[in-house]
Amino acid sequence: MKVEELLSQSGEWLKGTGPESDVVISSRVRLARNLHRFPFLTVATPQVRSEVERFVRPRLEEGKLPRKLVYWSLGDLTSVERTLLVERHLISREHEKAEGERGVAVGADEAISIMVNEEDHLRLQVIRSGLQLDEAYDEIDRMDTALEGSLNFAFSPQFGYLTACPTNVGTGLRISVMMHLPAAVLSKQMDKVLQSLQRLNYTVRGFYGEGTQPLGDFYQVSNQITLGKSERDIISELKRVIPEILKFERQWRHKMLEDEPRRLEDRVWRAYGILKHARRITSEEATDLLSALRLGATLNVITGVPHKLLNELFIFTQPAHLQKIERKILDPEERDSVRAEFIRRRLEGL
Amino acid sequence: MNCEKCHKNHATIHITAAEGGVKRELHLCEECARQTGALSNFNFSIGSLLGGLMEPVKVPKVSQVRCPECGITYSEFKTKARLGCANDYEVFRSELLRLLEKVHGSTQHAGKTPHTVDAQIRKENELNRLKRDLDSVVKSEDFEKAAEIRDRIKTLELELNR
Repeated sequence: MKVEELLSQSGEWLKGTGPESDVVISSRVRLARNLHRFPFLTVATPQVRSEVERFVRPRLEEGKLPRKLVYWSLGDLTSVERTLLVERHLISREHEKAEGERGVAVGADEAISIMVNEEDHLRLQVIRSGLQLDEAYDEIDRMDTALEGSLNFAFSPQFGYLTACPTNVGTGLRISVMMHLPAAVLSKQMDKVLQSLQRLNYTVRGFYGEGTQPLGDFYQVSNQITLGKSERDIISELKRVIPEILKFERQWRHKMLEDEPRRLEDRVWRAYGILKHARRITSEEATDLLSALRLGATLNVITGVPHKLLNELFIFTQPAHLQKIERKILDPEERDSVRAEFIRRRLEGL
Repeated sequence: MNCEKCHKNHATIHITAAEGGVKRELHLCEECARQTGALSNFNFSIGSLLGGLMEPVKVPKVSQVRCPECGITYSEFKTKARLGCANDYEVFRSELLRLLEKVHGSTQHAGKTPHTVDAQIRKENELNRLKRDLDSVVKSEDFEKAAEIRDRIKTLELELNR
């Protein structure tokens, strides 16, 4: 499979059909693993990096794993292709920018990906649509166990799986639930939500993870603690916290609908109007308007706009996607025109 | 014992250093120890310094101790916030215990164990049990049984060292 073939499909997690998908976009789990007897990447020489890649790659490509994976060495890809993988949430921004031998193995439906030579030798991730924490963990656990058959991971009975950063040590498990919280933002309740989550040792990040700004009212809530709790405990705790956020977001959505229906309707339909007719649109504006449209669709203020289409538009209107679709490098102004046209075409006939 | 470096003075400083998991002892006179800077390059315990020193030798601060495998110090870790290798968890153990307690509120893993490690722990447990059995079997003079247990112990020890 080539990277550009990703353009003819979209990730399983974007289909918008999972549980609680009015608010929850996706559930993501990741495991950090390092190889026994290899130095961590912090001090790894270029030789060690390529040794790790040479050692791991055939084991990721072999057919015995629970999922068939395609491996891309990032050095073989163009910068636009690498950015496309970031936009797809298949690799991190750091992985895109880094130098030296590194890669990613991806399952056909993009539900699973394994970064090689990122901060740790291996970073496994599974994304599912909606709130599916157990399902996502089960899948990553099967892959991890299968890999243990051919790879020896750095592990200590006291500290668990040993990671480059001690904030990941133990289970190496980070669970992130991506939520769409437009009503919390509009009702100016987001600060309260953030504070209470931080008190419970959860971090909140933007659409593209670590160090990114919230975009279009999307927030990712993740566990901070990885040591001293079992994987199932970490999941159950998150399963108690997330429904609270969902409850509040839904309450605020309905309150908006009851208190100021005209204002909400106007906001949603204006967004639809602009998206359907604009000739130039920036990424930020598109994201904000799509967010409003998504809110309207979940409250039936507007009907016939499927979640899958909206979720896909968030991803396909990102810069690398547009450039790959157009098969050329575009400057930001050209991108704004192409973006507007792409959205118009996808909204046509709804 | 004479100093390993100048071979003249009496070695009064004995340093135990761990390199790649192998223990190595170094015997130096006070002057050579100072000159070579060995004291700041090696990870050693105060107990390895024998008596007879005129003034106490400074123990290197934890932040200067280097991991013999990846070569980073704890202060380098603090700047980068990333460790250099799995061995750092042992080398900087006491500092990391404090850090982990602060970050995670715990210092003991409670999650998944790789099945390879599981198998190893099982083998170690079996080995310990067999050694206890062997004692009692020898005491009861059941030599046939003792030989059997000895064979199994040998096999397990070989497997565990692999």
